[in-house]
Amino acid sequence: MFINGFIYIVGETLNGLYRNRWMCITSTGVVMVTLLMLGLFMVVNLNVQHITEAVKEQVEMVVYIEEDADRATVEELGRALSGHEEVTAVAYVSREEHMGRLQQQLGGMLEGYDSGLENPLLASFEVKTADPEAVVGLASEFEAYPGVAAVFYGRGYVEDLFALTRVVQIVGLALMAGLAITAVFLVSHTIKLTVLMRQREITIMKYVGATNWFIRWPFFLEGLLMGFVGAVLPLGILHYLYRIFAQWIAANELMFINLLPLQAVISELALYLVPLGVILGILGSTMSMGRFLRV
Amino acid sequence: MIEAKNLGMRYGRGKQLALEDINFFIDRNEFVFFVGSSGAGKSTLMKLIIRELKPTEGLLKVFNRDVGRLPRHRLPYLRRNIGMVFQDFRLMEERTVQDNVAFAMIVTGSSRREIKRRVPGVLSMVGLEGKAKAKITDLSGGEQQRVGVARAIINRPAMILADEPTGNLDPGTALDIMNLLHTVNLRGTTVLVATHNREIVDRFKKRVLYLDNGRLVGDEQKGIYTNVH
Ligand SMILES: Nc1ncnc2c1ncn2[C@@H]1O[C@H](COP(=O)(O)OP(=O)(O)OP(=O)(O)O)[C@@H](O)[C@H]1O
Ligand SMILES: [Mg+2]
Repeated sequence: MFINGFIYIVGETLNGLYRNRWMCITSTGVVMVTLLMLGLFMVVNLNVQHITEAVKEQVEMVVYIEEDADRATVEELGRALSGHEEVTAVAYVSREEHMGRLQQQLGGMLEGYDSGLENPLLASFEVKTADPEAVVGLASEFEAYPGVAAVFYGRGYVEDLFALTRVVQIVGLALMAGLAITAVFLVSHTIKLTVLMRQREITIMKYVGATNWFIRWPFFLEGLLMGFVGAVLPLGILHYLYRIFAQWIAANELMFINLLPLQAVISELALYLVPLGVILGILGSTMSMGRFLRV
Repeated sequence: MIEAKNLGMRYGRGKQLALEDINFFIDRNEFVFFVGSSGAGKSTLMKLIIRELKPTEGLLKVFNRDVGRLPRHRLPYLRRNIGMVFQDFRLMEERTVQDNVAFAMIVTGSSRREIKRRVPGVLSMVGLEGKAKAKITDLSGGEQQRVGVARAIINRPAMILADEPTGNLDPGTALDIMNLLHTVNLRGTTVLVATHNREIVDRFKKRVLYLDNGRLVGDEQKGIYTNVH
């Protein structure tokens, strides 16, 4: 009963794929390229996100205090900053502490600096915020507070990082949408060819009373298989590339590029790529199921 | 088994009726010839019976069901009860005789065991016992049509529709095939044959429905092929 029909369907699926192997390889290839791009993009994105998270943690604002601000103004400013709802932490750094840090950072270079000379540095508040992306707006707000000389945050760096990830996302997504449409089109075209090749069998099937789904299964499976293979191959390729890249990073002691672990990345990718490939394949098959495949 | 009431069929808007006001009743186990000149509407009538086409006018009941209202998903089950035989055989030419016959069982969900059990019996009934493994292209036209008949009866349908089954065969072979269909009929299957073959119609003396230009102009028991105009 069912088993026999199942064997027939699987046989026809493979037969159809084989008889159309070049178109089939092309379609699978395009699915593969689409998903490989998506995969690469996701790998980069996941890691950029991971690194940005780390950077965001470090983003803080430095609110420099006017040199001639009196004690009351400074205290009032400190209270205003700590009381702001977006602010999570405020630390006062005196001019002397700044100088100490500078000397530490520059090693022995300020050796000859005479502490009797006037310290040119300003005292400051170091401010941490709840939402790192809010620093831009907060900075201009704080600049208007009395006693504030200037506000600094990793200005260019933070803005660029956010902007760059967004541009990469938009361009990448547009490119992939185009590729995905091409992939669906090619898959459906390939299946249409096998449908045409099997026209005679299909007609006979209709006359002897095969059900719609019996007629359609082989074509449905063809699409599904192309999509699935087109998703699994990029996973393999990405697995390989990621390992090589991670090894290269390790070998060059670029440990500050804090990559996500291989297995975590690949399983996250599989979660998206395999269903997506299958969906592309199924879309392709359904598009090819015209009048011919209806009883 | 088949009942037509004021049945009409128009292929498209503005086209003239391919069938018009057809009325007849065919009982189980009958053997009926549909005759009429080319374009009379014989094939159209057969396509309506298997619901390849939907009637545009009137009523057509097959197995006591209004086929015009049969939902799409029921069509396969209607067709499993009707075996089709074609003028051009419609076989899978690159495959063997037994594959062609078994195909009808596979796609309707029979078990392997059932197929193995039934195919040889049907092949011997149509006189092809030695040819089970022969490729279709290695057979004569008459043998190919025997495969066609075997495929039509393998699922034990209640009815056989044959549209010009002898159209591509020489007179002797045509007679063989018609005898085969007659045997099938004697075993309890309703058989409808559309044909131009005057000799055969006259010889069998079965019921004849005459179609002319889309109209049913004659319905005779033990009829002969006459040109009714
Ligand atoms: N698919 C179609 N579209 C439009 N008109 C059609 C179609 N099929 C048949 N017809 C028209 O319907 C009429 C009946 O055709 P049909 O094929 O039923 O005749 P027939 O009796 O089987 O003829 P023949 O003996 O040549 O097979 C003809 O006028 C034909 O032109
Ligand atoms: Mg005809």
